[in-house]
Amino acid sequence: MASHGIPRVSGGTPDKSEQAREKEQKQIEQYKALEKSVVERVRSKDYSNDTFQATSQLLTQNPEYYTIWNYRRLLLQDVFAKEQDRKEQPETKDIEAAEKEGLTPPQREISLLIKEDLQFLVPLLKQYPKCYWIWNHRSWLLGTATRLLPPRNSSELWQSELGLVSKMLSLDSRNFHGWGYRREVVAEIERLSASSMVEKEFGYTTKMIQTNLSNFSAWHYRSQLIPRLLSERQADSEARRAFSDAEFELITKALYTDPYDQSLWFYHGYLMSTLNPANAQAPPILDPCTNAERLHYLEQEIENVKDMLDGAEDCKYIYQSLLELSERYLEVEAGNKVVISQEMMAWLIELRKIDPLRVGRWRDLEVKLKF
Amino acid sequence: MSLAAGPGRGHVTVGQLPDELNLVVEKHISYIQDLDTRRDELEYHLTEHLRTGGIYWGLTALHLLGRPDALPREGLIEYVLSCLHDNGGFGAAPGHDAHILYTGYSVQILTMIDGFDELEKKMPDCNGKIAAFVASLQQPDGRFAGDEWGETDTRFLFSAFYTLSLLGYMPHQHPNEPPIIDVSAATAHIKACRNFDGAFGVAPGAESHSGQVFTCCGALAIAGELDSYLGEVGKDRLGAWLSERQLPSGGLNGRPEKLVDVCYSWWVMSSLAMIGRLHWIDKAKLTAFILQSQDPEEGGIADRPGDMVDVFHTVFGIAGLSLIGYPGLVEVDPA
Ligand SMILES: [Zn+2]
Repeated sequence: MASHGIPRVSGGTPDKSEQAREKEQKQIEQYKALEKSVVERVRSKDYSNDTFQATSQLLTQNPEYYTIWNYRRLLLQDVFAKEQDRKEQPETKDIEAAEKEGLTPPQREISLLIKEDLQFLVPLLKQYPKCYWIWNHRSWLLGTATRLLPPRNSSELWQSELGLVSKMLSLDSRNFHGWGYRREVVAEIERLSASSMVEKEFGYTTKMIQTNLSNFSAWHYRSQLIPRLLSERQADSEARRAFSDAEFELITKALYTDPYDQSLWFYHGYLMSTLNPANAQAPPILDPCTNAERLHYLEQEIENVKDMLDGAEDCKYIYQSLLELSERYLEVEAGNKVVISQEMMAWLIELRKIDPLRVGRWRDLEVKLKF
Repeated sequence: MSLAAGPGRGHVTVGQLPDELNLVVEKHISYIQDLDTRRDELEYHLTEHLRTGGIYWGLTALHLLGRPDALPREGLIEYVLSCLHDNGGFGAAPGHDAHILYTGYSVQILTMIDGFDELEKKMPDCNGKIAAFVASLQQPDGRFAGDEWGETDTRFLFSAFYTLSLLGYMPHQHPNEPPIIDVSAATAHIKACRNFDGAFGVAPGAESHSGQVFTCCGALAIAGELDSYLGEVGKDRLGAWLSERQLPSGGLNGRPEKLVDVCYSWWVMSSLAMIGRLHWIDKAKLTAFILQSQDPEEGGIADRPGDMVDVFHTVFGIAGLSLIGYPGLVEVDPA
């Protein structure tokens, strides 16, 4: 979309040598000629293989050119329609090959074309992992497979996408296109197979976190899976309590190791939000979720987080968390007000010192807490 | 009339920047004016699919710099109208397919240069046709597709809302006529994109992202639901998330644990402005960060100090400064 992370160099364009300039003019001419040929062919409805190959060439040079992706889909749709309308009898070996895969000969042709195009996209995705249009086109190909092929065959294609997207996410664990695509792939496999993948996906997040604790997106995905996971396990109140304890233990241990890691605080914040009925975006883990339970966890976590201060007195996240936990504590149980208010004031003063960027926010918080 | 949206030129090495930084207004103006004269660069041609966006960004920057006439109006109108399709949609450049994003940019440009008379001459009842094009992209679940190929994204929803709003076709602008889009289905979708941390993701279940916070808050604001939906508690939670985007360098990032980038000066700051929490970050430090990202010799602003400038970061840097109240800039509307 725009340039990111490209260093500004001393002596840029104006100093280009005559040779470099000539070379660039040649590249421009070739590019414009290729573009012109693709556009003219498509406008004159020349939906041939040559035109298709020309779009491949152009998109390899410029995968952001969305109109050309649209043309590519027009060409593919045209071939698919012709395959489906084909009148002449296919050759015996083609019929046999198709039968082996449980397909009709036209379906086999379509399946081969889709697979080939998926293959074409792989190096592009690796080179341009943030290009919306490549992910889009992939998703269109898979959606088309679902529409035109029997479920068994399209399922296979979706299944292999899971491998691809895992590889992409291991290269960049924060790529939100990758995560979005993963959600789409999982939902479609679940639909086609009429079975849940929530346990498998939860396991995937565990694996991601074990490889790298500071994996923000994996923690996020984990938080998204939990409500469904528990309901599919038909977890009773005891199982839910045990689950909650285990997650708190996991995250608290991690936080002791690195209280400066925002991704860990994110997940800790999520677990605490499940105890807050005012946060509709974090459904409760516990069932029933009583005030006694809330106080139990709040007390436990206030103690744990206080302990984290030891050796990390300059860590702003600890003070922020303590203030949030205490605020919630006072909402649930106002009895212990005097002690906790004094502590909160001290934390707030500390926070203002170590986090001057957000001093306006801390001032507002002070007013809100009425110190 | 068309502008290059890709990397700009510049030949200043980092470390030469003066301590007392000022916005190099005249240089930014000429940087934007010169974007159209770069047809001898391959990058110019490789970024043609962004052209209308580039013009919109450049023109907005010029408006904020107080020089709205620095690009010739006739040329702009001619170019934008040459991107119009019979279905009422606009492409990014002549011959490029219609898309909701470029339709939005085109309507913005026409609004800024007051070009609707010319539009009407080219295609009678064009406003109605554009509105119908936009409305046709709404899906049964409330989302908006970018074009006939069906990709959906909250950016497209926001684009649909502001385009219809500029054209006067949002249902609340025509209370006595049947609505052309389902506003409540659309806002229900936005609400489903909200996370426990108070911010919004690109789709239900996606992690929070500043760009999406901007489009979701903007859309809710146009629908008149932002204040009532978030409430003070929701604003505090979202404001906390947004304010954490500022890092010690003064710059803002788009998500936790990502690099700072000038473009987030706009997404984050305008969202903070919409919820009345602009004072939750350090404005002086952000100002310094944006100014350090300028190319003080050739004009233009980059994503970070020392990087190549482009028109996209130029406008978002200037718009960020305008929100902060930087002297001499025209005040910008956050939504
Ligand atoms: Zn940027």
